[in-house]
This record gives sequence, C-alpha cells and structure tokens, in this order.
Amino acid sequence: MRIGVVTFPGSLDDGDARRAARIAGAESIVLWHADPNLHSVDAVVLPGGFSYGDYLRCGAIARFAPVMATIVAAARVGLPVLGICNGFQVLCEAHLLPGALARNAHLHFRNRDQRLRIGSTASPWLRDYADGQEIVIPVKNGEGRYVADEATLDMLEAEGRIVARYVGENPNGSMREIAAIRNEAGNVVGIMPHPEHAVDTLTGPSVDGIGFFTSIIKAAAALRPASLTGARA
Amino acid sequence: MTIADHEKPDAAHGADAAPTSANGSAPEQPKQTPDKATSPEKAPDKNASGKASTPKSDKTTASTKSTASTKTAASERTSNSTKVAPPAKDAAAKAAAAKDAPAKEAPANAAPTKTSPTASKSAPDKTTGSAKTSGSAKPPAAQQTGADKPVASGKDASSDIPAARRAESSDSAAVASDAATAVRPHRPSPTPRRPAKPTPGLARAASASTVAPTLAAAEPAGAPSGGTPAPRSGRGTMVGESASASVEAAPYARGAEPWQAGGPGDTPPPTREDFAGTDTVARALSTPDEAQPYRELGLADDEYASIRSILGRRPTDSELYMYSIMWSEHCSYKSSKVHLRQFAEKAPRSDRLLAGMGENAGVIAVSDRLAVTFKVESHNHPSFVEPYQGAATGVGGIVRDILAMGARPIAVMDPLRFGAIDHPDTARLVAGIVGGVGGYGNCLGLPNIGGELVFDPCYQANPLLNALCLGVLPTDGLQSKNATGPGNVVVLLGAKTGRDGIGGASVLASATFDADSAARRPSVQVGDPFTEKLLIEACLELYAANLVVGIQDLGAAGISCALSETAAGAGTGMRANLDRVPLREPSMAAHEILASESQERMLLIVTPENLKAVFAIAEKWGILATDIGEVTDDGRLVVWWHGEVVVDVPPGSLADDGPVFARPMREPSDLPLLRVDRAESLPRPKTADELRATLLRMVASPNLCDKSYVTEQYDRYVLGNTVLAQPEDAGVIRIDERTGLGVALSVDGNGRFTRLDPYVGAQLALAEAYRNVAMTGAEPVAVTNCLNFGSPEDPTVMWQFAEAVRGLADGCAALGIPVTGGNVSFYNQTGAVPINPTPVVGVLGVLANVAERVPIGFQNDGDLLYLLGTTRDELCGSEWAWVEHGHLGGEPPRVDFAAERSLAMTIAAAAVRGQVTSAHDLSDGGLAQALVESCLRRGLGAMIGLPKTVSPFMALFSESSARALVAVPRGQEIAFTALCEELGQAHTAIGTIHASSENLEIIDQFTVSLDELRAAHTGVLERHFGGVAASPTA
Repeated sequence: MRIGVVTFPGSLDDGDARRAARIAGAESIVLWHADPNLHSVDAVVLPGGFSYGDYLRCGAIARFAPVMATIVAAARVGLPVLGICNGFQVLCEAHLLPGALARNAHLHFRNRDQRLRIGSTASPWLRDYADGQEIVIPVKNGEGRYVADEATLDMLEAEGRIVARYVGENPNGSMREIAAIRNEAGNVVGIMPHPEHAVDTLTGPSVDGIGFFTSIIKAAAALRPASLTGARA
Repeated sequence: MTIADHEKPDAAHGADAAPTSANGSAPEQPKQTPDKATSPEKAPDKNASGKASTPKSDKTTASTKSTASTKTAASERTSNSTKVAPPAKDAAAKAAAAKDAPAKEAPANAAPTKTSPTASKSAPDKTTGSAKTSGSAKPPAAQQTGADKPVASGKDASSDIPAARRAESSDSAAVASDAATAVRPHRPSPTPRRPAKPTPGLARAASASTVAPTLAAAEPAGAPSGGTPAPRSGRGTMVGESASASVEAAPYARGAEPWQAGGPGDTPPPTREDFAGTDTVARALSTPDEAQPYRELGLADDEYASIRSILGRRPTDSELYMYSIMWSEHCSYKSSKVHLRQFAEKAPRSDRLLAGMGENAGVIAVSDRLAVTFKVESHNHPSFVEPYQGAATGVGGIVRDILAMGARPIAVMDPLRFGAIDHPDTARLVAGIVGGVGGYGNCLGLPNIGGELVFDPCYQANPLLNALCLGVLPTDGLQSKNATGPGNVVVLLGAKTGRDGIGGASVLASATFDADSAARRPSVQVGDPFTEKLLIEACLELYAANLVVGIQDLGAAGISCALSETAAGAGTGMRANLDRVPLREPSMAAHEILASESQERMLLIVTPENLKAVFAIAEKWGILATDIGEVTDDGRLVVWWHGEVVVDVPPGSLADDGPVFARPMREPSDLPLLRVDRAESLPRPKTADELRATLLRMVASPNLCDKSYVTEQYDRYVLGNTVLAQPEDAGVIRIDERTGLGVALSVDGNGRFTRLDPYVGAQLALAEAYRNVAMTGAEPVAVTNCLNFGSPEDPTVMWQFAEAVRGLADGCAALGIPVTGGNVSFYNQTGAVPINPTPVVGVLGVLANVAERVPIGFQNDGDLLYLLGTTRDELCGSEWAWVEHGHLGGEPPRVDFAAERSLAMTIAAAAVRGQVTSAHDLSDGGLAQALVESCLRRGLGAMIGLPKTVSPFMALFSESSARALVAVPRGQEIAFTALCEELGQAHTAIGTIHASSENLEIIDQFTVSLDELRAAHTGVLERHFGGVAASPTA
C-alpha cells in the first residue's frame, strides 16, 4: 500500500501526513508538485500548510500544479484523495469538492483540540469509523470556514456527504458545522481539522486520526490490484 | 518532514524516497502561466533565473504605472536626491540632479524635458554610440518612457520568478504588455543594471538609462516584438550583449566585472562633472571637506572622526551609511560589550558547547550525532511602530539566525510584554503582535511551544517582542559565517532588496521613542513567510549537498553587515557589485541597497565550481540566487555601483572595530526608597472568605489568567514533534523519533524583580527558566538571553544593565550552564521613563526520552501532592502585591542556586523512576496559581492541607523561589521521600488529587469548584481583545 503525500512549495504538514501513513502501516511516497507522475501510489494525501503562501486564495495556485492535473484526472475515476486543511482548500479550488473555505468568522487563526462527529462512513477513508462516532483531533486554520450555497448544503446533507461536523463550539463559523465532506463517489474527502496530528498520544491529543489512514489501507487491499495511478497524465 | 529526516543526506525531501524531479526543472510552474507553451529556451534560460528574472519583474511592476506616472516618478526622484544620485533616466536627469543644477531645473512636468540638449552635453565624449543612438533614434517621450521602465511581456515577467509570484503578477504582466505595445513596438530587453562592459558614460548613468543602449543593440539582432527572450547567461548578462554574439558559452561563466580589465578602470579618470549624484570613493577624495549628515545618521562627532581616520579620507555616502548602521548600538553592542564579556569569562566549562558567544547562535551537542541551536532576540521597536510586521519579521529574523548555523528551525517561542491590559493602545498591539508572530510562524510551519504574556504599564509605549527559535543539526553540520577562499563567489539568496527597513537598526532600534515614532514606519521591514519557508528548504538542501563555504543571514544592516562580517570573519576581502542585487525598486541608490533590511535573504560563499549546483537548488525551490561578487585576499571590502567604487573599507573596521563605551553608571536615586517600601506591610486577606476571593481575583488577573486566547492563534502541532507546549512549564520537542531524544525550553523574566534589584532579578529569571525546564524532567544545559533595557545613555539604566549581566553571569556559573548567545535591546523607553529592566532568560534542557516528560496537569485520582522547597515570607515584587495593591517595592525573593539544582535533580531522578506524574514550578502567583493550573489542566480536583510553617495566606501567595508542586502516585511515596532525603530536597506532603470532588479544597480555609475557577481564569483576554481582528494577512 503506497500513500502519496504531495509537497507543494509552502506545504507544512506533509511530513506529518507521511508519518501518519507510516504509523498506519503504509509506505509513504513524496509526490513533488512539479512532477505529474503519481509513482503508482494507491491513494493521495494533500497536506496542510500554506501552499504558494496562500497567495491569491488558499489553494488557488496549487490546483494548477502539474501534479494536480494527474490527481484530478485520477480522482475522477476513483483514486482515493484526502485533502487536509490546505489540501481541502485545494480540492475545492480544483472542483473535486463543492463549496469553498473562507476566513474564519472571528478572523483569527485558531488551533485547538476539536471534537467532531463522524456523519458518513461511505468512503474508503472512513471504514474504521462508525456513523455518529465522536473523535477529538486538532483543528488549526485561519481560513477554515466552510461555505456553500443553500442548495449545495442541502444536497450534501441529503446525499450523506457531510463526513464530519464540529461538536461544541464551532471553531471557525463553518456553515452547518461542517468540518469534512466527500464527493459523490466517496473517494475524495476534504477535512479541515488534522487527523495526521492525532496518531500518537505523545504528540497529539488522541489517536483518533489514525483511522483515516488505516481505513484507506484496508480499502486499498480490497481493491487491489486495480491501481488507478500508474499512467501519466 | 521529520526531524530525523534532517540527519539523512537529503534533508529536504529525500527521506521518503522522493521521486522528486531529478533535474528540478521548472518545478514550480503552474500550468496557467502563459510562458509554458512559448518558452523553447526555457531549459537554458532557467539557469539564469536568479539573475535575469529580477530586472524583468521589476519592470513588470514599474511598467504598470510607467505611462501614467512617469512624470511623478521623475519629479520625486529628482526632488528627493540632491546628494545621492537618483536613477536618472538619462544624462539630462543626471544633470538636473547634480548639485550645481538647481532643483527647479528638474524635469518636473514632462519626460521630453529630460532629453534636452543637456543630455548630450553632460558627457558627450563618454557616452557610447549606442546610448546616443537610443537617444536620437527614438521619439523622446515615448522612447524614454519605454526605455526607462522597460516593459516585459507576460512571458518575461513570469518565466523566472517563483510560481506564486508569477500568478500574482500575471495581471500586471498583462497590463505591462499593453503598455509596451502602446509605448513602443519593440520589446525592450530585461533591464540590465550593469552593462557587461561598462563604458564610462553608462557607468555613471543611473540604472534606468543603461537600458537604452541595450535596446539599440538588441533590436538589430532580431528580438523584435515577440515573446522570445534572447539567451541570457547565468550572470544575467544583458540581452544586447548576448544578441551581438558575445554570448558566454557556459551559462554560469562569470562575465566581465567592473573591476576587471575592460571595465571602467581602463577608462580615463573621472572628472568632477561626472560625479553628479553618486558619491564615489574618487569623489570623496576630491571633495574632502564636504559636510556630511553623520549626526542625522546617529553617529557622534568622535565616531565620524574615527571613520575618517580609518579611511584616511572622508567616507562616501554609502560608507557613511554602512558605518552608521554597523556602529549603531544595535549592531555593535558598543555600550554592552564591556559587560557581556563576563558571560564568556565566567562561563562554566561545557563539553556540549560546539559554538558559543559571537556566532549567530550557540550550538549544543545533545547526542553523538545531533546538536541543537537556540537564541532569543528582540524586535521591540518595530513591533511598536508596526505591530504585525514588526513581530512577523522578528520571528523571521531569529529563524534565519538559526538557519545560518546549519540547523533546521523546529520551534519558536515568544516572550511578549505589553502595557496595561485596559489601555486603549494595548488592544492594537496585542492584535498586531500576536497576529504577526502567528502569521509568520504558522506559515513557516514552526510550532510555537511557549513564551510569556505580561501586562505592565511600564511597557505602555514600548512593548517587548522577543522571539526565540530552536533548531537541530547534525553535530558535523555546523556552517561557517566566514568568507574564506579568495576567488569564491558571493551569492545573494532569497528575496529581492527593497526600501523597507532602511535604518531599522540605527534609526529605530538605537534611539529612544518620541512623538515622531509613527513616522518611522518605513523603517520597519515587511515579511513574506512563504519566501522564508522556501529559503529554509533551499538552504538545508545546500547544506546537505555540501555546497556552502560560508553563510550569513541578512538581518540588521542587511548587505552591509553580511558582507563585512563574512569578510572580517575570514580575514579576507570582498568585491561586490550592487548592480547585480535584485531590486524591488530599480531607483534605489547604492546606500539604500547596502542598508536595506529587506527580509528573507541569505548571503552564501560558494566555490565557482559549485555555483551551478547552487543555482539549480535555488531554482528548484523557486527563489532567486544571484552572484554579486567574489572573495578577495586584499583585506578590503570594495563595493561597486554603476561601474564606480562607492565603498572601499577594511571589513573589520565595520564589523569589529566599532566604538566601545564604558558608559557611566549610577544606581537609580529612588532605589533605596523603593527597597524599604516592603510589601509585608500591605493589608492581607484575614478571613477564609477573603482568601478565597483573593484567589479568584488573582487567577483572573492579566498576568495569571489563561493565555489560550493567544496560544490558540499559534500552530503548536506542525512537524508532529511537540510533546509539551503552553501552558506547560516548558515546551518539549522530540528531535529523534527513534530514540525519543528531545529538548525542553523555557523563557522567563520578571521586570518587577529586576527593577527592585537587577542583580537578583536577573538571577531569578534564570532560576525560573532553569526550574521550568527541570520540571519536565530535563537536564538544563545552556542559556540564552535577551536583555531589554532603557537608554544606555542614562547612567541609571546602564547600572541596571551592568548589574543584571553580572547577576546572570554569576548565576550561570553557579548553575554550571553557559550562556551560548543572546541579544541586547537598549533604548526601550518613550521619553525619559525607561521600562522596568527586563532580562528575558531562555534555558534549554535535554530529555533522553521524551516519553518520560512530566506535565503540569494532575493525572490520577489519589496521587499524593508534595510541595518541594521552602516557603518564606516573600511578597515584595510579587504578583499579589501588584494585583491587589498596585505595589512594587522591597527586595525580591532570595535566590538559592543550590536549592534550584537540588530541585532539578530530584525531578529528573523521580521522572525516570516513574515517581512523579505531574510537576509544576511555583513562581508568579505562588502555590495558589500552581494548584489552580494543575487542577484545571485536566479537570481534576484536589484536597490541600497547607503547611503550618507560614500563614495560609503566605503559603498560597508567597513567591519564594526553588519550589515546585509535584504529584506522586500511591505506592511511590516512600521511594520518593527517600529520594528527597538522599538529595537533601526539602519536601512537605500537602494533600491529594481528588478527582471526583471537582473542587479545589483548602482544608480549614475554603473550597472553590473547578467550574468557578475556570470561569474566573479563562476568557479574560477574550473579553479585552476578542473583538479585535488580526491583520488581514494572518
């Protein structure tokens, strides 16, 4: 099982995502933003950080990176992609997920240990969670307020595509307390809090985040050998 | 990136078998950029990026406003420079700026004015044919506009700049193209700041005018209106030269320098007439008596006299600027040097110390393979003038110091001090400074693991922003800051140089604030953490590939400092050509380029053979790398600009030979009175109810309340190695995932104690930081400090400083841990009133296994609580006296370093043996504060029987040093107390953790629920600052 983690200029949590993949039992692969080759990975994580300095808009430049063209094409035919924080922003900018992430309502960067409720497990990234399960993982962002029009929000709810919601105080003013969503097929998930920072009690508030990585390993094993990523864009 | 990755050869991205594109070609080019499809010469072209991109993107910016504002620009430039040459558009402008030309002759209203006959008259015999061609062959107005601000096509504007910038500039590039079309049909060349083979006329003309001849040469060679750039050499050789078949074969071949044969040295000696504007060494020799504004630059009469004596002539403008900055208090430590020597003289021996005082930061070995480096620095003045950027660049500066040692920065801390919490200006400063620390540090990906937050009216118009950075490096990976090896190349890496931060060190940091301080905002630098992040990754990759001979960060005094310190360090000389320096603003004068404190820049010394590899790594990370000069063996720092020598000095005279003062010192006259006004005489709470109410007020006071409003604005998780962070006593960072090796860090200071007794106050700060580190179970090993004081010209401040340094040096000797580096910040006062003297002390400790770290929060129901140390009747300078009575007087608590060492050994031994589950030092607010914090951390109550040796009030609020509150698991108490006996550690059993009660119960006194404590303790800062937004760039 090979999990690729993209490094854009300004990516910060790429090392953490690779560590989480390793702890979960996968081989972690560095994917370089300028290299369109996905090097036969079975799944991709777009990590947190400030890709391209968040210039223009968060994720707006990263979505044009050469590696993204390949990822977008592969994701449309089933490649599992998890976007965390900045990665979530990139997925929205790349139109793999609907909506957008705007400046936190209180205008501050906020880093705290956040309680979430899993709302949908219909995704290869969520096998190891139960519907309605509550987890605590860190949230840390300045622009994490999920926004979309009412129709989109209704559609996400109706289709069970809200993967996780904030429980307790909404840390950034996200609409309908949305912390994470998925695409229709379920292979693409965007999450604003950081599961990769909750994989070891020594350095995180819990190990509640490791499930994203163990889930995808199991899912990949079930799907193997249908690698979707060997071809170049 | 794990820290362990750093130990591997490819620190940046090799650790996970990175399929990084091997050639690193055009890695950062988003597809939408227009250049992709139309750049056949990309590959060779890329090599030149460091050089060639700069002028082009400058032009991009400039061109967007060129047609509209040529007039304004021209008049501005002329009017603001009577002495230093403006970048005259042509000889006419040059003439207009000349001293003998009255300012009113300046072409204030139309470009054509500047092509008046004056142009050809000014130096007809020295103007090259091509220059003439350009002047005569084009319609003056249009041509001048086009030539002055050459307009880049979209391709040019974007091809070589980092991708993000490219996207940002795409709009302006489009505008630029339009402008180009409108102004002139031909695509102008990239601006060469320096003609490859300068001719006298060109050499003296300002940068903009050198473009015209280039165009003339380029056009016949067939670079008409298309988007195809002519080949450029790695040296950024101009288009004209390349097109006319003088192309250098190798892209990294070094082109003709002004100091080489064929350069201006072979031309006839300049005449008086030629000096219009630029103050060169030759001109300085011919005008020895010209009055110079040295006092305005902060130099004293005798300092100016020594400069003249060192040089044997008057300094040029550029030299004067350089000396004024390098000899400023901020850079030269001229008032503090004589005292700081004690840190070295009294330093205890340490086998761990790999680099100490005098380096960018001290380096401490923590294992056979790994070393850490750490340092704390101030950015106080900029943070008052422009809080967000001042704080942001404060973080950026210390991070580059750590980077320059060869280390990967892995954590930051931020000791902050503000005025009264309810003062109207405090909200502005808190929002800006906290926003800046977070905005920069978060974007760099560095966890913020602690700091301080103190409110005191003495910091009202002088907040303190100190920033600490921790880095890790292989023990054999130390980088040198010396420019060794004559013939080696001097490379400027990172951001472009702009006008920001000019005079930051001299004007801002080395003078007292007054009513005009707000006008100094342009002296504050502007930060770009994204560029710094790329700079860090690029430097680490350069280190790993062993491509760097020497490296120095550009901080205070910018290029001046980096050039002189690297050359002085190696005892070599250096030649640099300022025309090569990539500029944000092409109109910058030589002294501005030398003085600029633009952020995110590093100076590298590289062998010529490695230059190509260095450029390739810079290219991979999308940052500029520019060869700006070379190391020489003549012991002179020679700086060229426009083909002339503008600086020729011994580098050591700038870096090391600054003035040293033994300034007068005198104990403040009010100190004896202050010391007899003891806090013991203040009214105390008498009943249990009063004690309870006092506790609730204390935990809600500005300096004792919960700080998460601030710490939540910082990323503490990034990098995945943060084991402890605020509100713990110390931050703990794992540095080796395999072994669990880690370090603990704490920064502490107490301005009130230091005000009452600077010697003891500084020692108390040291003791507290030492104790905080020890509480985690770590062994304290090294010290850094940031000494924040008022004006050294005030003898009483100087006395405070001398006493504090003496105290700190003696304290370090007593504790057996050396000072490895630090920073002095003087002039922290507005008007005549200095801040409380505030030495901030950082202590670093080593934890063999971070899994054994001890947190502050109570963990288990039933654990036994012990108070370690001796509680005395010590309230002077305490938080209680301040909060309840606004009182500051008496003598601060006693310092007992033997007791501190014993306490540290006890905790360390108990931690390894599993005999403590939590430990919290007692300092501000005493035992009461420690109990509240330990209870609230995980929501566990406690039942406490206060020791009978002192009154319940004293037991709760005394601030005696060398004390701690520890929790011992049941079953371990006998072993633990035996350990205490063995180490001679005073200990008193004071109660148990009582999880189910959800109360803090002080037996025979009062009970308060955790909910009530939490309500009082939290939300205080939100109520004061919650409505204030951080800077929009956060």
